[in-house]
Amino acid sequence: MRQCISVWTLTFVVGSLVFAGGRTASAADEYDYDLVHSSVSFKARHLGISWIHGRFNEVSGKFSIDRENPEKSTFALSIKTDSVDTANKARDAHLRQPDYFDTKQFPTIEFKSTSTKVIKGGFEVTGNFTMHGTTRKVKLVLMGGKEHDFGKVKRVAFSTEHSLKRSDYGFDKNAIGPIGDEALIMIDCEGVRK
Amino acid sequence: MPDPLLYYKAMATAAIVSAMSVLAMAGLRRSSGTTWLNSACVLGIGFGLTAGYYVLSLRLAWPPVNALDRFLEIVIPVALVIELVAGFLRVPNWVASFLRLSLVAAIPRILLHRSVYLNGTDNEWTLWQVGTAMVVSSVALAGLWSLLSWLLRRSPGVSIPFALSLSSLCGGLTVMMAGYIKGGAAAFPLAATVAATTVGAWLISKRSSMPVDCGGQAILGIGVAGLFGQLFIGHFFGELSAVSALAILLAPLLCWATEIRLLRHRKPWIVGSVRLVLVAIPLMLVLTEAKSDFDRDMAPLLVPTSALLPGS
Repeated sequence: MRQCISVWTLTFVVGSLVFAGGRTASAADEYDYDLVHSSVSFKARHLGISWIHGRFNEVSGKFSIDRENPEKSTFALSIKTDSVDTANKARDAHLRQPDYFDTKQFPTIEFKSTSTKVIKGGFEVTGNFTMHGTTRKVKLVLMGGKEHDFGKVKRVAFSTEHSLKRSDYGFDKNAIGPIGDEALIMIDCEGVRK
Repeated sequence: MPDPLLYYKAMATAAIVSAMSVLAMAGLRRSSGTTWLNSACVLGIGFGLTAGYYVLSLRLAWPPVNALDRFLEIVIPVALVIELVAGFLRVPNWVASFLRLSLVAAIPRILLHRSVYLNGTDNEWTLWQVGTAMVVSSVALAGLWSLLSWLLRRSPGVSIPFALSLSSLCGGLTVMMAGYIKGGAAAFPLAATVAATTVGAWLISKRSSMPVDCGGQAILGIGVAGLFGQLFIGHFFGELSAVSALAILLAPLLCWATEIRLLRHRKPWIVGSVRLVLVAIPLMLVLTEAKSDFDRDMAPLLVPTSALLPGS
């Protein structure tokens, strides 16, 4: 009888630890990038007088939001350069060439966070931004982060804008021409988890 | 944006530097042997290309990150070293052939390094197709190199390197009109330096009663490897069609047409002129096609869409 109680006690203790451990591991909620309700778009100057707008149609990513310890939250995004879309097929084909995105050599633009800081209304995320074979450390201000529960699907959304110089990422200055060096990337993304 | 004036400057600089280098090096030794002239040609091409690319202000990365970087920082220097080594009389022929064949086999792999073709993520090409394309490309390059080298030994003359220079120039223009400006521009100094080095070597061989093809094998080797590399990049990374790339690559083989009995024993300048005209014909056709594609594809970017609508 004593032996039976000991076994039950041990099972309870181990079970509690496993459960507690499981809770600790799942304290960070994992979200997948929702392609349907998100967009990664950009705009660049044309001749210095107007803006050309475009977007990337194929994007994937994961966020891990730790509500108890927000500094441990992580963000990763992968953009397929081949999916560039500026509403002009000839221009899109030109942008895929080595003078611009060089999509056969650099198929993705990547962002991976290295540290996260909580700010009012969102997060300040520092991470490695890799484009055109060049990686630079950038700081993104992600606004949002409020979870929305719709049916069995939980959603969280963030928005950010990031200004960059194409010449900092190995784009040829001679090919910059009428399209300005500076580009603005706008990311509005929703993450989903079930 | 393409800058024709810059391209002329780069070509002129490359041509002057390479020709002057050959003449200066040959002038350093009164009795320039074939090995010395061969080395002068290789170094002349090297100096000419460096000067031409400096004027073009091509921004290259080290370590190389894209195909053009690998072409200019690995393929061309290795070709120069191989031709420099192959030119020494003490180096057996089989060693020179082995080195050249190794380069031929390695170029496609080097140029496709870390691209979507080799990591299997390309939507249009399977790894098996890429492997086949690499083997076929290497075989085509080996075939072109061997046939031109054979022709140069059989019927020497400056027309063969000139044909390569023409093809390189046409390749550069076609790659550029297909939308890859930097890749096309990189071909211009190569075309200029091959032609100028040939002229330099020809002047030296005339003066010192050396064989007329002296240094020709080195110029041929670097010219063929350079032409192949630029077209390979234009096709796999740019929008250069396979048909255009093959036509430009194989056009110099039309030099063989002068080996028919009717032309073979004509004066060298007649044979050379016929060769260049024959090579120029397919190149002109490719350029015409490229220009019409350029006008069709680039027009929407240059003029308002309403202007392209019928009746407008």
